[in-house]
Amino acid sequence: MANLKYVGHPAQRVDALDKVMGKTKYVGDMSIPGMLYARSLRSELPHARIVKLDVSPALKVPGVVAVVTSDDFMNHSNFGFPISDMYMLAYEKVRYVGEGIASVAAETPEAALEGVKAIICELEPLPAVFDMAHALDPDAPQIGPNRTDGNHPNYIGHYPVYKGNPTEKLQECDVTIEQKYETVMQEHAYLETEGGLAIPTPEGGVVVYLSCQSPFIPRNDLCKVLGLSADRVRVIVPPVGGSFGGKDDLNYQTAGQVAALALKAKRPVRMTFSREESIIASYKRGSMRMNIKLGADQDGTLRACEFRSLYDSGAYSSQSPFTSWRASIHAMGAYRYEDCTVDIDTVYTNTGYAGAYRGFGNTEVCSGIEQAIDEMADALKMDPMDFRLKNCLKVGDVTPHGQLLSESVGLTDCILKVRKMSDWDRKRKEFASQSPSAEKRRGIGVAALFHGTSLGAEGLDEATATIEIHSDNQVTLTSGLTDYGTGARTVYTLIAAEILGIKPERILVHNPDTNTAKDSGPTVASRTTILAGNSVRVAAQNLIQNLDWAAADFLKCDVYQVHRVGEDYIGPSEEPVSWDIIVKHAREMGLVLSAFGRWTAPEIHWDEEKGTGIPYFAYHFGAQVAEVEVDLKTGHTDVVNIWAVHDIGKVIFPQGAYGQLYGGISHGLGYGLYEDLDYQNGYAQSINFDTYLIPTSMDMPEIKGGFVEAAFSAGPFGAKNIAEPSMVPTAPAILNAIANATGRRIRKLPANLERVMLGKELTKKGSPFSCKVALKIT
Amino acid sequence: MAKFDYVLAKTLEDAVHLLNEPNIRSIPLAGGTDIYVAIRVNPIWFDRLVDIRRIPELSQITQEGDVVSLGAAVTFSHAIANPILQKVAPFLVEACSTIGGPAVRNCGTFGGNVSNAAACADSLPALVCLEAVAHLRSPKGKRQLKVEDLVTGPHETKIESGELLTHFTFKVPPEKARSCFIKIGRREAQSISRLSIAVIGAVDSTGMVDYIRVCPGAAVATPVRFPHVEAVLLGKKPDEEIITAAAEQLVVDMIVSTGRRWSTEYKEITLKAIAERSLTKIFLEDGQHVN
Repeated sequence: MANLKYVGHPAQRVDALDKVMGKTKYVGDMSIPGMLYARSLRSELPHARIVKLDVSPALKVPGVVAVVTSDDFMNHSNFGFPISDMYMLAYEKVRYVGEGIASVAAETPEAALEGVKAIICELEPLPAVFDMAHALDPDAPQIGPNRTDGNHPNYIGHYPVYKGNPTEKLQECDVTIEQKYETVMQEHAYLETEGGLAIPTPEGGVVVYLSCQSPFIPRNDLCKVLGLSADRVRVIVPPVGGSFGGKDDLNYQTAGQVAALALKAKRPVRMTFSREESIIASYKRGSMRMNIKLGADQDGTLRACEFRSLYDSGAYSSQSPFTSWRASIHAMGAYRYEDCTVDIDTVYTNTGYAGAYRGFGNTEVCSGIEQAIDEMADALKMDPMDFRLKNCLKVGDVTPHGQLLSESVGLTDCILKVRKMSDWDRKRKEFASQSPSAEKRRGIGVAALFHGTSLGAEGLDEATATIEIHSDNQVTLTSGLTDYGTGARTVYTLIAAEILGIKPERILVHNPDTNTAKDSGPTVASRTTILAGNSVRVAAQNLIQNLDWAAADFLKCDVYQVHRVGEDYIGPSEEPVSWDIIVKHAREMGLVLSAFGRWTAPEIHWDEEKGTGIPYFAYHFGAQVAEVEVDLKTGHTDVVNIWAVHDIGKVIFPQGAYGQLYGGISHGLGYGLYEDLDYQNGYAQSINFDTYLIPTSMDMPEIKGGFVEAAFSAGPFGAKNIAEPSMVPTAPAILNAIANATGRRIRKLPANLERVMLGKELTKKGSPFSCKVALKIT
Repeated sequence: MAKFDYVLAKTLEDAVHLLNEPNIRSIPLAGGTDIYVAIRVNPIWFDRLVDIRRIPELSQITQEGDVVSLGAAVTFSHAIANPILQKVAPFLVEACSTIGGPAVRNCGTFGGNVSNAAACADSLPALVCLEAVAHLRSPKGKRQLKVEDLVTGPHETKIESGELLTHFTFKVPPEKARSCFIKIGRREAQSISRLSIAVIGAVDSTGMVDYIRVCPGAAVATPVRFPHVEAVLLGKKPDEEIITAAAEQLVVDMIVSTGRRWSTEYKEITLKAIAERSLTKIFLEDGQHVN
């Protein structure tokens, strides 16, 4: 892999210039003649039966052209994976505040809103459950679908990992700790809110431009709920203004609504969300309550972990079965244990709903386990770095799941490197000698992580790319996976350029389009570089065989005699021939100048009952250190520095990797210090960025990042991933630093002013007012 | 989206006239940073916005003798860069620099901050300490009210319908006075004050406090001076002990004013801390000098 020309070298992000110059067109920028504006009637109650739904008054509102409800779909618009518990529009019941009930298309956004207000919708309130601890009470009102296996209908699933018997082992350990940790809901806060534009086709089908992650999911859902064949539904993903896991289920409902309205009105229909509607209607990172027991010997050997937790999925299961599973796999942290069990139970409530969000369960459990690891180190009077180094996973270890780690485990190197970068040992000592009466105190904390790459045992894991050389010699690439701001297009471009030996400027990556790209599964789980990157690699390798053959033919030699210098081909005559001439020659030879590349991930398996197996084919590792200054008299925490070293395998696109790292850390800092999408009796208490606080640039510390490139042999050029894991350890590193500064531990996120100062939350009485008002404004 | 009319006033007389045209509810528009937010979720309470941003005298900061005049449409960015305010009221400049972010500071004005009268408004505590006087104009004539008296409650003032807040005046504080503004927010920018405090004070030749104004923000319903707190300090040598006593008096007076609320447990500790810090800054450290 020596002498790479593009991979691993500084590169300009392929979509940067258009974005910086404001040329990029998002769904909300699209407007076509005859286009209607859509608006949804959304539930103002957290749990209710739809007693009456009469849309005829809406159709009498001037400007209103069409209205749809669940009656306008096949099977009442039921969809959802892995549990089909959702509807494009509510059927019979609503289960959270903000759930769509009917959708109106009109000549103007104002008329659409008037139409929504004119709909007669009588809701009969039902008893609701807001506390996950009571979701499974025998008399708890039913939220989830009927089930026949005897389980409570509000029960989504149980996600275990079992190795030995930690309950017994804990009794043998010199030191044990037991603590409860809690996380709260987090809003994705993507810059672009949800939106979709549907255009009816002359054949009776529909084309949908959808701001989403995974176009084949809504394509397949739309076929199902609209009763259309695959050739009649086309989903195109325009540039997406951020997602972080948030542009799945809710915006598939948007797709269903605009598609049904477009078919009914026989006109294009666009729906875009206001920020308030987005925050009220969209799913969040779910909240989790954890109970962690750890056991270790006095010499610092970690021996046992017993992890139990409850996860609140809210009104719908969405991705929670997968989130909970990923949480279970990562709950014990990146450490060796003799005995380790994890039990996560996931339930329905009427508190909004939880879905995918960067880190996908690992962000939640890491904030618990990495604090517990620090608490154990404290109990052992060991340095947290030393304790982690002694127990962390290394090549040759068997994980608590029973997986032998045979390569690409860079955690020790990450910890050693971040320890040095942060000047950890000097600062730990210095901060320990601060005056006990000082009002402002410094602290430094570390958190480590592992993060399984790609889907793991969630399902089939493969991707397909296409590559083509056009008549003007431009090279185009397609992938079924989306670049929703991550930089994936640049990654594909650099990989293809490297293999084809051509300049990246020659390559264009198309927007994902279900008519031209191949279904490659969902764009989730930080899988794009490995899966799509590998499929691009294979496609380019397939294509270059024809070019090499054409070059040999042109140069009148064997393929092995052909060499490349820059883009040029050189044969025994040593006269360089340009790439364009070789392409022209290949065309004249009648060779196909396009190729597919498909890559399937190595086989893995998971036994859901026994809680053992090989959950992921590779792991990302990393460690972050946060330095804070805490004002004990105001509760204000200033994060002064963050150092982050991650083992992401081979770095393909350095600026992109650092961009992901910094962005992830800002997400993690918000999660640690500010963010709490609080629901009171089912009503979101923050519905805009005036009260839902995310970090500003003024809140971000200096970040020093570094990478350990422990190559993963099956990854493209040895690459693994970075997108999600970059945020995972930030919050616990900050919490550990606060504990180091203050001597007090905050076990419920976020570490806001009141929790830091008083050690507890002060709560204001909640109000449904903002949600109700915001659902009725343009 | 709310529907309303808009008109640009070219002169002060023009603005007063437009605000008082019959049968059309008109309100002044300056930066718009409060109005635009309010009309997203509240029913519209006016028919027309009268834009006063282009009236030259409303955007002026002048000093004549020992009186400083501050136009109602002066933006916070303008104030931060203004040499007069930097010299005579550095804590007011400091307060302005904590408001919102650059975009909000480029638009937001003193007139708007005062007439919106949020309990957490960041320019008010310093204006109250300066005993700033608000100048109002209407077809009936002119009148003047102290800012402290003008604001009667959260989002409530004595400004009458059709009345235009034109400018503020305040006397240059005594020589040797030092001032300080501290704000506690949940983050470093675009942050609403959780609590704030403005203090300005001076000592006489014997080292005794002979001038002191204390006004916290977001602590009680309106920004007001706390006379009992000032009384603790006046005539005393401002040492650690007396500063602590003043800070404790402030907390007592806050609770008398608001009763114990959900946030009191936090605010009583934090208010004491920022009172101590600000008073320490002006009396025992090198607080920002006035003059």
